[in-house]
Amino acid sequence: MNSDKILKYVLFAASLLILLISGAMVLSLVQGSMPSFHQFGWKFLVSDKWDPTTGREQYGALLFVAGTLFTSILALLIAIPMAFSTSLFVAEYFRNTWMASVVSTLVDLLAGIPSIIYGLWGFYVLRTFIVDIGLSAQGYGIFTSGLILAIMIIPYATSLSNTTIMMVPNELKEAAYSLGATRLEVIWNVIIPNARSGITASYILAFGRALGETLAVTMLIGNSNKMPTGLFSTGNSMASVIANQFGEASGLQLSSLIEIGLLLFVITTVINAVGKYIIKKFA
Amino acid sequence: MKKNSLFLALVLVLSAIGTSAKAQLSGAGATFPLPFYNMAFEQYTKTTGEKVTYGGVGSGAGIKSLTDKVVDFGASDAFLSDKELKAMPGDVVHIPTCSGAVVVAFNLPGIETIRLTPEVLVDILMGKIKNWNDASLKKINQSVNFPNLAITVVYRSDGSGTTNMFTDYLTKVSKVWADKLGTGKTVNWLTGIGAKGNPGVAGTISQTKGAIGYVGSEYSFAQKIPTAYLMNKAGKFIKPSLATVSAAGKGAIPADTRVMLTNSSAAIAYPISGFTWLLIYKEQNYNNRTLAQATATLKLMDWMLDKQAQSIAGTVNYAPLPEAVVTKAKAILRTVTYNGKTILK
Amino acid sequence: MNEINLLLENKRSSIITDTFKGRKIKDNLFLSIVILFSLITISMVFLIIGTMVFKGFHQINFAFFTQTPPNTFEAMMAKSSGKLIPGGIINGITGSLYMVALASILAIPFGVLIGIYLYENTKKRYASIIRDITDVLQGVPSIVIGLIVYLWVVVNVTKGYSAFAGSVALSIMMLPLIVRSTEESLKMIPDSLKEAAIALGTPYYKVVLRVLVPTSFTGLMTGILLAISRILGETAPLMLTALGNPAINWNVVKPSSAVPLLIWQFYNDPNMVDLIWSSTLFLMGFVLILNLLAKWIAASRKF
Repeated sequence: MNSDKILKYVLFAASLLILLISGAMVLSLVQGSMPSFHQFGWKFLVSDKWDPTTGREQYGALLFVAGTLFTSILALLIAIPMAFSTSLFVAEYFRNTWMASVVSTLVDLLAGIPSIIYGLWGFYVLRTFIVDIGLSAQGYGIFTSGLILAIMIIPYATSLSNTTIMMVPNELKEAAYSLGATRLEVIWNVIIPNARSGITASYILAFGRALGETLAVTMLIGNSNKMPTGLFSTGNSMASVIANQFGEASGLQLSSLIEIGLLLFVITTVINAVGKYIIKKFA
Repeated sequence: MKKNSLFLALVLVLSAIGTSAKAQLSGAGATFPLPFYNMAFEQYTKTTGEKVTYGGVGSGAGIKSLTDKVVDFGASDAFLSDKELKAMPGDVVHIPTCSGAVVVAFNLPGIETIRLTPEVLVDILMGKIKNWNDASLKKINQSVNFPNLAITVVYRSDGSGTTNMFTDYLTKVSKVWADKLGTGKTVNWLTGIGAKGNPGVAGTISQTKGAIGYVGSEYSFAQKIPTAYLMNKAGKFIKPSLATVSAAGKGAIPADTRVMLTNSSAAIAYPISGFTWLLIYKEQNYNNRTLAQATATLKLMDWMLDKQAQSIAGTVNYAPLPEAVVTKAKAILRTVTYNGKTILK
Repeated sequence: MNEINLLLENKRSSIITDTFKGRKIKDNLFLSIVILFSLITISMVFLIIGTMVFKGFHQINFAFFTQTPPNTFEAMMAKSSGKLIPGGIINGITGSLYMVALASILAIPFGVLIGIYLYENTKKRYASIIRDITDVLQGVPSIVIGLIVYLWVVVNVTKGYSAFAGSVALSIMMLPLIVRSTEESLKMIPDSLKEAAIALGTPYYKVVLRVLVPTSFTGLMTGILLAISRILGETAPLMLTALGNPAINWNVVKPSSAVPLLIWQFYNDPNMVDLIWSSTLFLMGFVLILNLLAKWIAASRKF
């Protein structure tokens, strides 16, 4: 019994690490944001100004929040059908065949591509393609960055889904088949309800990845500090403005950038909570 | 448990390796001189055996690293203002290492070069001139056949010393610019698209017909990008080159070398040029620094001002320092102290 | 069994759902869509990797794995005379391997333990909070993590840029992935297995260590692999923690290079831009090997 108690304590102690890291993170972010908060107060959240000119500095987060949300949501919308199909392909339809192995390895490779390469590939290849087919004049914008993000998060959306889909007990599936269900019906009525928790967990992970992605978005979003008005307008995202200006910022600008980092933290928390609440409602 | 004791053992072993290794010098800052510094420091290691690490994290992060005392030296394209100097935890000196410039690059099929006056340049950047066939462009480029093509301005999305130098020049030559946009590592561009880094801007310009933007000279010289001739203070249209960039540094320079060389009055000076500096503390005994570490740092700085390092600069498209500036810089190095006593003779 | 009956009963009647033919058509249609979308996804992989191979393959040679990068002059000379750019990325390779290994040592034990904790305490409010925070951590931009680790480690612990700081930053990024995949994999183990072990009188800690963890091993491996793949390519946090190093460095309190840092350096250097592609190919190759290794391990432990 002693070993049991030890294990329980060890597990609990381990969980404290999460609190420690996130707490310290929030603390540092809050500390860094103080100067900006004192200067701008809550207006910071709804102001669309971003003027770093010395003497009349004015900062606001609205543009970047919009850019982040638009690109991440678009990315998730594009990625879900792709990821879901790939998961079903690997974990159900062609499970245990060589094809599934190949597909899953290829998809996992996507996770290993450094984001700067996604940015470069997007810059040299995707952007040129979008210009060529006439969707946009210079190829930058919400759509291009959303598309790149979608490709980047697919492996996150598939990997956990694959595992959980594969672990749905065979008896449940066989029972359904014996009742005359088609493949689709088994997927819809047996596999998905059982694997639901893992599948949604993977989409939440994927969305989180999209929210925080920096380099790839930076290179394709156009970096204009304007409110995006359409699918192909340029804009800016929270992570990318931080990455772009952090190395050279100081004083009030640095503090505003840190405040945006804090804001991103908060937004991610809220979206995660809302997502989970919606899922619980539909359980 | 087993995994944790393995971890502990590893840390002990690693720290043992740590304490027996030689001291290294580390610096962080501007990306502009990164290729030059890497090459120069490599040569320094070959010559003296002293290892040097440099990270191109950006001037701001470099200054922060120096403030936090986690590096031996910082590097910046923009010198610290009086206010910023006061905010540093100790007195800081600036050692210039080379000059660079900002060039105006463009993409006009079939056109090799164009001339620009400050007024026309500012009007283009502020979106007042929207098309290449505008009359004001034709006026200063009689022999050029401009197409009917919209102008796309391309600027740096990331904060950068290049933007700082460029906007410093624009502020000096245009009151309208000074009022509306001013100087800075990032400014509130009125029109155009932002791209990341020199490669981003250069790549966007080369892929977008009718684009115009600014890149660092070391980049444009190496990639042979079509650049504009700018009218300087003396009224001449100057082509950016190592000679014209160096010429900008031949005017009057203050003793602490903190000056922007933009809009220099020298006859053949290219108007958007500037120094880049290494920054160190005047009193080197801080944070348990040894005399040996301080001496090693100063020896590196001294070497950077010598003929070998300066000629390396020239071969990779960075303009070497004029003699007068080297003299001033070496004098500054000899005022740096350890416990109040100067280190170099 | 009950769930299936209920679900099938509740469906509304229609030609599509009631007739066998209708259902079969739906079935086949869905399968075609699944295959189509999967193909589109894979084609993306080929497009991207194809570009890298096409642009970077010729740069890979023995020197690539044994030498440090050239300086900008050597690259310039090689380019202008049409020769291959000399040098390699050995400092980046060793730096990356070193820091990833360190980060894994830090993150894997904690990640798995936390995952087990969440699994064992699903009902508790505290566990829910931990789970939510873990998901949020996943979304923190890597540059913010770099900034935080700069403040904690670079300034306060190692008093300088260091490989250790880089590893800490990377391990924080690995943690959420490992935690969540551990928990989810454990959840998929049928209760009967756990109950059988307990019924045999196995003490709790043995049930966890000898039954649950080994059974979910594949899932754990997937999570760890995904986490390693992610951090191999991270640049921003390493810039603020490991800084970079022109030479191979095994000293944990000194700055270290890494392949993504070198890629960033090459990107910013007008003469060395071409080296980006071969460096990425290396990372890709490494991820592929890790991937195949994990699959082989999973296959040899047939469950």
